[in-house]
Amino acid sequence: MDRADESWSLFMTTSRKLWIAGVLLAGAVSYLAYAGAQQGWVYYVSVDQFTQDRQQQKHRVRLMGRVSADHLLLQSAQLRAAFDIESDSNRLPVEYKGTIPDLFKAGADVVVEGKLNSAGIFEADVLLTKCASKYDPKHPTTEKRS
Amino acid sequence: MTLLLGNFGLAVALLAAAVAVMACIVEGRFGSLSALRTARICIISIFGLFTLSSIALMGALIDSDFHLAYVGRFTEKALPTGYKIAAFWAGQEGSLLLWGWMIAAMAVLAIVVNWKKRDREQAITTAVLAVICGFFAALMLFAANPFTLAEQVPADGHGLNPMLQDPGMIAHPPFLFLGYAGFAIPFAMMFGALLTGRKDNHWVDGIRRWAVAAWLFLTIGILLGAQWAYVELGWGGYWAWDPVENASLLPWLTGTALLHSIMVQQQRGMLKVWNAVLIALTFVLCIFGTYITRSGVVDSVHSFGKSLVGTFFLVFLLGIILASIVLIVVRRRLLRPEHLLETVYGREGAFLAINVLLLVMTAVTTVGTVFPVISSAFTGNAVSVGQPFYNKVIVPMGVCLMALMAVGPLLTYGKGAGGYLKKHITPPLAGGAVVMIAVAAIWRVTHPWALATALIVGVAAVSAVWDLITTTYRRARNGDENVILALVHTIDGNHRRYGGQTIHIGMLMLMVGIAGSSLYGAKHTVQLTPGDSGDIGGGWSIKFEKVEQTRGENYEAVQATVTVRDPAGTEMTLRPQRRFYDKAEDSNTQVANWSTWRRDAYVTLAGWQDGGRQVAIEMIVNPLVAWLWIGGIVMTAGGLLCLLPRLIPHRLADCAAAAQETGTRQVETAVLHGANR
Repeated sequence: MDRADESWSLFMTTSRKLWIAGVLLAGAVSYLAYAGAQQGWVYYVSVDQFTQDRQQQKHRVRLMGRVSADHLLLQSAQLRAAFDIESDSNRLPVEYKGTIPDLFKAGADVVVEGKLNSAGIFEADVLLTKCASKYDPKHPTTEKRS
Repeated sequence: MTLLLGNFGLAVALLAAAVAVMACIVEGRFGSLSALRTARICIISIFGLFTLSSIALMGALIDSDFHLAYVGRFTEKALPTGYKIAAFWAGQEGSLLLWGWMIAAMAVLAIVVNWKKRDREQAITTAVLAVICGFFAALMLFAANPFTLAEQVPADGHGLNPMLQDPGMIAHPPFLFLGYAGFAIPFAMMFGALLTGRKDNHWVDGIRRWAVAAWLFLTIGILLGAQWAYVELGWGGYWAWDPVENASLLPWLTGTALLHSIMVQQQRGMLKVWNAVLIALTFVLCIFGTYITRSGVVDSVHSFGKSLVGTFFLVFLLGIILASIVLIVVRRRLLRPEHLLETVYGREGAFLAINVLLLVMTAVTTVGTVFPVISSAFTGNAVSVGQPFYNKVIVPMGVCLMALMAVGPLLTYGKGAGGYLKKHITPPLAGGAVVMIAVAAIWRVTHPWALATALIVGVAAVSAVWDLITTTYRRARNGDENVILALVHTIDGNHRRYGGQTIHIGMLMLMVGIAGSSLYGAKHTVQLTPGDSGDIGGGWSIKFEKVEQTRGENYEAVQATVTVRDPAGTEMTLRPQRRFYDKAEDSNTQVANWSTWRRDAYVTLAGWQDGGRQVAIEMIVNPLVAWLWIGGIVMTAGGLLCLLPRLIPHRLADCAAAAQETGTRQVETAVLHGANR
C-alpha cells in the first residue's frame, strides 16, 4: 500500500497535474460551449431570406424586419399584437404574445423570435425593438419636429 | 466661439502629442534630460487643452447653444440641468472627449508621481502615453468631432433619449471610462520597464496600484450600468450578455486576473509572462470593446452608427496588439520565472488557475460576442449564440472561481502550502455544510447551483473570519496588545490582504444576488379593472386602484396606482408609469420597485385599454437582487482599503519580529510590506 502511494506521488508530478487539469478544463469548456450553443442557437434571418427559404421555415428563427403600417392590431392590455413584418419586397403576418415593448409601432425595426405555424402565421414569443441608440441620432438635425 | 475654442484645444493637443513623442525620441537618442521635461510639459498641456475643449462643450450644453450639432442632438431647453451635463457623454463624440480627457488626466498623475525619476524608462512611458493621447485628439479632430456646426440652427434640440434620463446614466459612463483610461497607464509603464530591460520586479508595484484603481472604477461602472439597466429597461434583469455589456466585461475579466497574478510576481518572481500579457490584453480589450460596439461590426439590439470611428479604432487596435506582441517576444528573457511551481495547492497554483479560468471566460465571451460575424463569414448566415450559451459556459467557471476565492485565505506560498491547507480546511468546510443544510431546510432550496452557492458562501465566511481571528490572536499574544488594538493593527498592517478579502466578500454577496434572482425570479402578468385585486401566486397579490395622467418636467405620464401585498401581509403602494417625453416619439416604461434585502417586487405598467378601464400589470418577484448592489458597495469599500496607505505608522522591526513568529506566510507579506514602503 505504502509503495503504491509512493509510486503514485512520484508519477503525479506538479507539471503532470497541471496538464491533467488543463485537459479536463478544455474538455469541460468545449462540451459546455457546444451544449450551450445548441440550446441558444438561433438563426438571424431577414424577411426576404425567410420567405424564400423553405428550410428556414421549419425551425425557430429570429426574424428581422419592419412593422408594416397596415394590419397593425395592438392590444396592450391583453398583451397581444398582430401585425405584418415586412421588407421592401416581402411581408409576413406575425402574432405575438407578451409585453409590448416601448418602442413598438408601425415603421419600427423589430426582431421577432418564433416559428411559422401551419396557417402560415409567424408565432412569436420574443419581440425586440431596435433601440434608438445613444450613439446614433435617429433624426438629422435639419428635420425639425414640432 | 465654442467651436473655435474646442477645435483649438483638440488641434493643439494633437500637436503637443507629436512634440512629446519626438522629445522622448531625442531623450532616448542623446540622453537629454531637458527633452524628457519638454515631453512631460507637453502631456500636461494636452490635459489642459482637453480640459479647455471639455469646458467649451459643457458650456454649450448647459447654455443650450444649438449652433453645435451635438447640443441639438442630445439636449433640449426643458431638460433638467443634471441631464444637460450628462448629455456630455450621451453621444459618441462627447463620450470620446470624456475618455480622452480622463486618459490625459491619468497620464498627468502618472507623470507627477514620478516627477523626480528622470530616466529612459520614464521617457518611454511618457512617449506611449503621448501616442495614446494623440490618438484621441486625432480621432476627435478627424472622425468624431464634438464641435461640428449644425447645418441649420434649430429653435430647440431633440432632447436626450428618454432611456438615458435616469440618475444611473449620469454616473455609469464616467466610471467605465475612468476604468478604461486607468488601464492605459500600466500599459505605458510596462513598455517603459521592459524596453529598458529592468530585471527586478519592482516595476509591477506601481502598476499594481494603477490596476487596482482602474479595476475599481470599472467594477463600479459595470455595476452602475447593471443597476441602470435594471431600473430603466423594465424587463426585470440587469445583465443580458449584449455586446455592449460584454465589451465592458472583457477588460474586467483580464484586469481581475492581472490583480491576482501580479502578486505572484511581486512575491515569488513567477507568472511574469502572464502579467505582461494581461497588462497588454486588458488595455487592448478596452479598445476592442469600443471598436466592436461603435463600428457597427456586431449588430446588437443597440444599433450603432457606422462611421470612420470604427476604422480609427481598428487601426489603433491592430497597432497596440502588434506592439505588445513584439515587446513581449523581444523581451521574453526578462519574463522567465525565478521559481518553478512546487505545488498546485498553494497560492501560486491558485493564481495560475484563476488566470486560466478568467482567460477562458474572456475567450468564451469574446467568441460569443463576435459569433454573428464569424458565422456569417463562414456560412453566410449570422447566427447568434444567445444567453443560454453564456450561462452554460460562464456560470460553472464562475462558480469554480468563487470556490477558489472561498478557500483563498487558507492558501500560502511555497512547498508547505498543501499541508497548511489540509490542516485548516475542516472548520470552513463544516461551516459551509451547515449553511448549505440550513438553506435547504429553512427555505426548501433544492436547486444544485443554489446549494453550491450556499456551500461556497459558508466556506468563504468561515475561512475569512477564521483567518482574521487566528492572525489577530497571534498578534495579541505576541505583542501583548489587547484584542481590539491587535485587530486594528492586523488589518491596518496589510491593507492589500484585508482589502482584497473585503472585495471577495462583496463578490460573494453579488453571487448570492445573481443566484437568487436568476434561479428563483418569477414573472407574473395580471389584467385588472379599477378596484380589482389579483392573486399572483406565492402569497402575493396586487390591487389596482386607479390610472391617471401626470406631467413631469419634460414628459407626460400615464400612471397606475397599485397596492402590492407580500406573503407576510405587508402592503406597499406603487406607481409604475409609462412616460411620453415631449421630444421622443416613443413611450418609456418607468418601473416601480419595492426593494428589500429579501426580494424586489418589480412592477411595470404593461398596457391599458379603454382609457384605463382595463390595465395589464406585470410584476416580477426577484429574490435577493438587493445583494448585488450591497455587494457592489462592499467591493468599493474593499478596493478603497487596498488603495489607502497605512494609517497607523509602524516600526519595521516590530513588524518583522511579529512576522517571525507567525510562519512563512506572514514573513513574506511583512517583508514585502517593508520593502514596499
